[in-house]
This record gives sequence, C-alpha cells and structure tokens, in this order.
Amino acid sequence: MVQAGKIESFGILVKRYQAKMLRYARRFLFNYHDIEDLVQEVFIKAYTNIQSFDASKKFSAWLYRIAHNEFINAIKKKGKEPMPFFDLDILLPRLASKDEADKKTNQREICQMIEQCLDKLDFKYREPLILYYFEELTYREIADVLRIPVPTVGVRLKRAKKSIKSFCQKLGYRYEK
Amino acid sequence: MKSEEKSPSLIKRVLEQVRNGRVKMRPKSYFILRTILVVLIVCLVALFVLYLVSFIVFNLRTSGVWFLPKFGFGAMGVFFRSLPWLLIVIALVLIIVLEVFVKRFPFAYRRPILYSVLGIILLAFLGSFLIAKTPFHPELFWRAREGRLPMMGGFYGGLGLPKLADVHQGIVIGITDEGFSIETPRGELLTVVATSTDIQENDRVVVLGKRDDNRVEAFDVRKVDDEFDIFQRRPHRPMPWSR
Repeated sequence: MVQAGKIESFGILVKRYQAKMLRYARRFLFNYHDIEDLVQEVFIKAYTNIQSFDASKKFSAWLYRIAHNEFINAIKKKGKEPMPFFDLDILLPRLASKDEADKKTNQREICQMIEQCLDKLDFKYREPLILYYFEELTYREIADVLRIPVPTVGVRLKRAKKSIKSFCQKLGYRYEK
Repeated sequence: MKSEEKSPSLIKRVLEQVRNGRVKMRPKSYFILRTILVVLIVCLVALFVLYLVSFIVFNLRTSGVWFLPKFGFGAMGVFFRSLPWLLIVIALVLIIVLEVFVKRFPFAYRRPILYSVLGIILLAFLGSFLIAKTPFHPELFWRAREGRLPMMGGFYGGLGLPKLADVHQGIVIGITDEGFSIETPRGELLTVVATSTDIQENDRVVVLGKRDDNRVEAFDVRKVDDEFDIFQRRPHRPMPWSR
C-alpha cells in the first residue's frame, strides 16, 4: 500500500518500527545526541526508496540495512570510532559457528550481560550482536544488512561474545556461556 | 520509556516532510534503470577484462615471452622482466572494479570475497584462452599492419608487438657461418650468433640474448611449435564480420 503512494500506510509502518529503530540506534551509537534525527532520516530514506523494496522479503531486514548505512555514515562523519578500510574477516572462507543453535537456551542471560558491556565493544562486533540477540535477525538476514558473508556473521558473534565475557569478568559480572 | 515519549513527534515529523513534498518517493523505473546500469557496467567491464587478458596472451605469444618457461629456471628473470606489466596492472584494476560491482549482488556478498575474486579470475582466464584460440587478435593485428584499423592500429602495432631487449621470436630465413638469420613478426631481419646445429630454414625459433642493433648474441635458442602463427596471414579464416 505504501508503494502505491498511501502516506497513512507509511505512518503505520513508522509507528510499528520506530521503537525498534530507536532501540537499535541507542545500542549501536553511544554518546550521540542526535539519535532521533538519525532515525527520522532512516524513515525518510525508507520512504524515498520504498519502490526498491521487494514485497516478498522481510521489511524489517530491509529497514535495518538502511539504518545500518545511516548509522555508519554518522560514525564516519563524527569520527568517534575508527573505521577499518578493509576487513580480513570477509576475505577468507570460514566455518560457520554453531552458536545459532544455542541461542534460545542462553538468550536471556546473554542479553543481560551484553547490555552491561556493549559500549566496550568495537562497532564491528557490536552490531551483529545487537542484530542477533536483541533484534532477533538470523545469520542470513544479518549478512544482508551488513553485506558480509554468512560465515563471517558467526565468526564476529563468537569473537564478540568472547570479548563480552572478558569485559564482564573484569566488571565483576558472572558470565555462564 | 524515553523512546515512547518521543515517538509521536517522530511520526509527525516524518509524515509532515512527506506531506509537504519535501520528501519524494523515487519511482520504480529509477531502481529498474539503476539495476540495468549496474548489470551493463558489469557486462562491459567483464568483456573488457576478457579482451585485455586475451590481448596479454596474444602479446606474450607474439613477443616469444610465452615460451620462456620452456628455457628453464635460468630464463625466469628475463620472463618476469619481459611481462607486459602495464597491461597486467590495468587488467588487475579492472578485476577489482568488477569485484566492487559484483559485490552488490547477494550471491557475491553472502560468500567470502576470495570466492568471487577467484571466480572472476577463473572466468577471465578461461574466456581469454578461448578467445586466444580464435583468429580475433591476429586478424586485428594484420588489419593494423595493413593500415585498415583506425584508432586501434597503434595499440596493436605498439603494445601488441613489443620490442624486447632479451627475447626475440622469428622464422629462420637463412643459415649463416656463425648461426642463422630470422625474420621477426615486426618484419625485422636479425642475425643470430649461435652454436645450435639443429636449426633449419623455416623453423620457428625463440632466441634468448642481448640485441645490438640487428645482431643478437644468443645464449639459448629453442624451436617452438605452436598452432598460433602470427607470421602468416590466414585469408581462409576471416573474422565473422568480414565474411
């Protein structure tokens, strides 16, 4: 309906996804005061490019892709975090991690731990962690959002959890898995 | 929650921008045209990579550098020195450009970069060797020599037929006391000083040695037998468009 030009339908979409987008932005971007403006820009870009959305696919994954680009541009503009020119993780083939199967059993505890230490993580590891544990995207959807190979998603999650574990231990939290 | 407190204003602000026309929806045709453009660029760059790599193979065969690995380990220094590095670097840059465009498609970015890069290189090599089997480059080369190839003539006359200091390919046109004489694809006559005894007239040879004017002191000479024959035009195998 939005693609047919119904503005009210787009309003429903904004209402449905704004909390998710704000939450994603707050977890991904630290010390940013213009988070609302960035999320507003995400929705404006979504409206501008809505005709490129394939209705047979998941809207949320498409919206996360726009948000990812917007947030990365914000990081680049502000220069608060170093951006690697090239990432070796996406170059070589790797074995996919088995973590996806463990998701359900440990999710609640892991989410609590992650929430405490998220700001200590490099954004390269922070983002897949947020998308997987908090936004509940699959490896393939995360690969589509970040435009990285599917096995790399598993590798980054594994490394992210390892870093989180060590940060949590330093802060005195208990980390089971 | 903070997000919920602010959320009504966010919707309002977004919809206001849409309603007052400050934000416009791009038409579907824009995205279709953009996709067509990307596919066209990918096809054009891929075709140019094929052309360039097959031209490099042609260049190596006309210069004789292609046959240097047969001379053994000692000739490898000359081999690497004589490679058309400018063309190789241009081909590599184009492969990187092609990879950048291919990476926009899910089949490429969902897999490690190594796979798509290797895939592109493999296709470029296979396609180029297939082109090298056709009279495509020799035909253009002969057209350039006959002055019937506008614009590209200099390309085939210069880069297509490099003049190297250490490697010389030619047809033996006569046996002399100190060796033999050859005619190169450039039409030059070279006197080769060599001790090889099994060289005969009309043999196709590659000579390794320093050139001084039209005289070459050979330190190795090999007969080469290759179906690729740049020395003679083949009128019985014209290009499809000239039939």
